[in-house]
Amino acid sequence: MRRTARLLTGTVLAVAAAGLASPAPAYAGDARATGGLEVSPSSVVPGERATVRTAACGEDGAAAGDASAVGAGEFPLAPGAREGETTGGFQVPPSAQPGTYEIVATCGGSGKRVTGDLVVTLTAAREQVYPRGSVKTGVGGALGPDPVQTAAGVAALAVAAAGGTWLLHRRARGDGI
Amino acid sequence: MRRIGDSAIAAVTAVALCSGVWLLLDSAGTEAPPQPSAAQARTGTGQAAQAPAAPALPPSPPDRVRIPAIGVDAPMTGLGLTPSGSLEVPPAEKENLAGWYEAGTTPGETGTAIVAGHVDNTEGPAVFYRLGALEKGSVVEVDRRDGGVAVFTVDAVEVYAAKDFPDEKVYGAADRPELRVITCGGDYSRGTGYQGNVVVFAHLTGSR
Repeated sequence: MRRTARLLTGTVLAVAAAGLASPAPAYAGDARATGGLEVSPSSVVPGERATVRTAACGEDGAAAGDASAVGAGEFPLAPGAREGETTGGFQVPPSAQPGTYEIVATCGGSGKRVTGDLVVTLTAAREQVYPRGSVKTGVGGALGPDPVQTAAGVAALAVAAAGGTWLLHRRARGDGI
Repeated sequence: MRRIGDSAIAAVTAVALCSGVWLLLDSAGTEAPPQPSAAQARTGTGQAAQAPAAPALPPSPPDRVRIPAIGVDAPMTGLGLTPSGSLEVPPAEKENLAGWYEAGTTPGETGTAIVAGHVDNTEGPAVFYRLGALEKGSVVEVDRRDGGVAVFTVDAVEVYAAKDFPDEKVYGAADRPELRVITCGGDYSRGTGYQGNVVVFAHLTGSR
């Protein structure tokens, strides 16, 4: 709930920021930063997806993103894979015109505002990058049987068999006991 | 004297028997992860017999992946690419953690979303240890950050050798929401590890 509330507040702030626009937002508490929001890929074609990331929002920072400059509206940012990083993404509308657009993110906790540039071009600067090749997702730690352990087990059973045989023989001969 | 000798031999015999059985059972408890059978392969006819595709969802990053048929329920982390262009993998020491390709399609949106996780680490089995045992028709669920759940149905389970990996088939674009779940598999050599990957092909069949 609290997180939702924070997100909502962030969104309201972001909208307010967009509404007030540059050069200088008038409200307090806006640690206005230039840059700080990394947009990737920095150049996209309409209809493509862009990802943003920032380290400005601290450890478990959620943030409200605003890509309405390019017509993509608002989007949420959440803690990303790397520690201290907040990430999110949006789709650039197929109708977007070529140009440079400012993407804004407002940290949920601190209200800090970071921006980054998104460049929209009509021809793809490059294809979307797909991974290549296989992935290294195992080392064989689940594999067995371990030959050493198997040999030890077999050896122990051999000892047991020898001992058992010897005892049975003695009993059958009637000596002992 | 004889009695003492007999008792000693009996004791040694008993201990040897117990430890022998334990050693063998314990070592048999670790075995190679299951590999998909030929029946789970992609068929040439394509999507004819598959469950109908559900409409695409808006983009939203995934938080968890569940595969009830093989007991998977794991959180997810974002993955990038290594300098050589292959997919990064989640940290190996966290055995119950899966990852997804962050710069690609989010699970549920149109395109090919990619999920990867370890089959094992140095300690033993990891999150996707039993991935190769999945069968066509099994369900893969992805919890999304927007609160929804994307439900995928498995179309095929394949194993591909690393040296001849079909990049386009596995990672290539799709015109409907699709999912790939990848882990290590194939032949194993003590020197160079697993020789390939198990790849699960699935497509979106529902959401909630």
